[in-house]
Amino acid sequence: MDAGNPEHRCRCPHGPRCTRGPRHGGLAAAALDPRVRAFPMDAATQAMYREHGMDPVTLESDVTTAMTFLHYVLPSPPFVSSRAALSAAFLPPQDDGGGVDRISGLPEELLRNIVSRLPAKDGARTAALSCRWRRVWLSTPLVLVDADLLPAGCGSSLRVERAHAQRVESAITHILDAHPGPFRFVHLISCHMQETPGLLARWLQLLAVKGVRELMLVNRPWPLDMALPATFFGMATLTRLYLGTLAFPNTADLPRGVSFPHLRELGLLGMAIVNRDMDFVLARSPVLEILCIQANVLLKWLSLVSRSLRCVQIIEGIDLNIVVKNAPNLERVIIWTSSARDGLHRIVKIGHAPALSLLGYLEPARHLLEIGNTIIKAGTKPSPSTTVPSVKILSLRVCFGVRNDAKMLPSFLRCFPNVERLHLESNETDEPTGKVNNKFWHEAGDIECIQSHLKLMVFYAFRGERGELSFLKFVLESARMLTKLVIVFCKGSFASMDEANSKVKPLFDARWASRGCSLVLFESPLETGDDKWVLNFERGSDFSTTDPFACTAALQGCTV
Amino acid sequence: MATREAGKKMIMLKSPDGMEFEVEEAVAMESQTIRKMIEDDCADTAILIPNINSKILSRVIEYCNKHVPTTGATGAAASDTVAPAALAEDLKIWDAEFIKVNRATRFDLIQAASYLNIKGLLDLTSQTTIDTISDNSLEEIRSFLSTKNDYLPEEEQTIRRENQWAFQ
Repeated sequence: MDAGNPEHRCRCPHGPRCTRGPRHGGLAAAALDPRVRAFPMDAATQAMYREHGMDPVTLESDVTTAMTFLHYVLPSPPFVSSRAALSAAFLPPQDDGGGVDRISGLPEELLRNIVSRLPAKDGARTAALSCRWRRVWLSTPLVLVDADLLPAGCGSSLRVERAHAQRVESAITHILDAHPGPFRFVHLISCHMQETPGLLARWLQLLAVKGVRELMLVNRPWPLDMALPATFFGMATLTRLYLGTLAFPNTADLPRGVSFPHLRELGLLGMAIVNRDMDFVLARSPVLEILCIQANVLLKWLSLVSRSLRCVQIIEGIDLNIVVKNAPNLERVIIWTSSARDGLHRIVKIGHAPALSLLGYLEPARHLLEIGNTIIKAGTKPSPSTTVPSVKILSLRVCFGVRNDAKMLPSFLRCFPNVERLHLESNETDEPTGKVNNKFWHEAGDIECIQSHLKLMVFYAFRGERGELSFLKFVLESARMLTKLVIVFCKGSFASMDEANSKVKPLFDARWASRGCSLVLFESPLETGDDKWVLNFERGSDFSTTDPFACTAALQGCTV
Repeated sequence: MATREAGKKMIMLKSPDGMEFEVEEAVAMESQTIRKMIEDDCADTAILIPNINSKILSRVIEYCNKHVPTTGATGAAASDTVAPAALAEDLKIWDAEFIKVNRATRFDLIQAASYLNIKGLLDLTSQTTIDTISDNSLEEIRSFLSTKNDYLPEEEQTIRRENQWAFQ
């Protein structure tokens, strides 16, 4: 394995300019007031971590960052149910002519439609209006978002006072008890579940019995790895499940029949799950299409064997090897960000995946790409056994300032001969090892996708370095089908648009292979590294979005 | 009575009080109910819309007219581009104006939206009722919705106790 000199690679997934957490005032930090401790540890927990050689203060701040991230990634509830958002646009109806409202006279189906949009608390209040309204509430599939149960104006669900959390817990128990189901959507993220023994097991039992369809369940630290009770496996009606900061139960001794026959979408956020249990979940979820993982704990090998899986997304993959073994319907593998704590390469292996059309971000500095049984090295010659012809959209993250990185780029590109849309992010390094020049690119030999298929290239985080310019020049001189090159620089990278323009000027001296190509220069609304804090799974999981790489917050306002 | 005008297919909608409205097929198809009729080929002559008088029907058409181009723009084209936020904002303001109607009209609009199966309009009309429920006390909601409290006093007490968390 050509790992190069580990000293010369950028190890942090956020690049050398990264701050430890989201910048104060940045998008993800908006909900977080740095003066308040969102997840204070008690003395016993502090002592426990100290004993393990960890600094509780640092840990607390890291966990706050991680939880900010997690809450940001978690899919939103189906309706905007907060009053503030609603009432602003609507003035009270005028009272002329209409006299009394006949709403209560509507058919029950329409009343259910109305009640289904109410936050659970308001919904339950309607039950006290009259017998008819009570019947309506009880027969409306429940949408329960626990943050709606917090007293108004107590801020985000990220920071919850103990006393409030306890009241929310008891309200949740009441609702789950009183409502006969089905539960359409249940979003439980505001409670310290470990503190009331048996609480979570009871909730899961009720959710299982009454038929929960979509569940988002996140424990509030501490601890970070509360055991998920085995009653969890009773929720066979689930279609969509997101779990956060819990330890996945052991699957070794489960009965044969346990499965999630309707589960279509699964998200594991900061979950402690071992390889065997992950394999189990994939094997027992016959219609699973979407798998999202954020900040994996314990899981080191994600081995994909599934006939149903269409999309796999990773945010903050930690030391994770990804092996696409046998996934005939897999269309997308999106590794938004990943890191390796030891600085060593991790494997991304593409085995049987004939439908794979979208892949990235591959990073030569972190990933060892394996196609079939061949490890791709600098200079690997393309052959049918080392190419994935189905991939049309590819994204790569490269340090042009690191020679070994840049030298891997042609080999990576050759593995995907039919790429039409290429997203390339230029990573910064604080220890450059010498750039490759124009000559390198022209001597690198044919790169089929660039010469014959590439229509769009988005070059992200442009800083005007020589290494970047020689690659861009090479693309412009070789890509015959290219219709658009979008060069994106991070906010604040250049003092003015004039300066940015002067940096790309050398590209106009090149002989462009495609006469019809247009070059767009765009300033991202985000500063360097900030884009990593506003990632989520939404666009990637939406199959009607053809190119999720083009829909990130960093490219907002740019038409590509 | 489907005719062609400037390349666009037109559809005739008839209200029970005898008024006729000629609308573009695309506009009429904002209603899933009408869409189904058209797709099933039941729509060569005018479509009679029962139970919806001309005053309400003209408002429904006004709503569909406003909302039809957005649906087009968020179709295939939008997948690769950022959603036109400004346009959505405009629509929201327009919707807020549109729904400033008296209660009787709102009631009729909910029923029309339900019968014609126009999701956006049903969402919009139901939403105002939701605001009523969210912002007021039980007694106020009862009076707004002219709901008669048919619980016995002790029954109501029990229900309130069961749902105590909701009244805190």
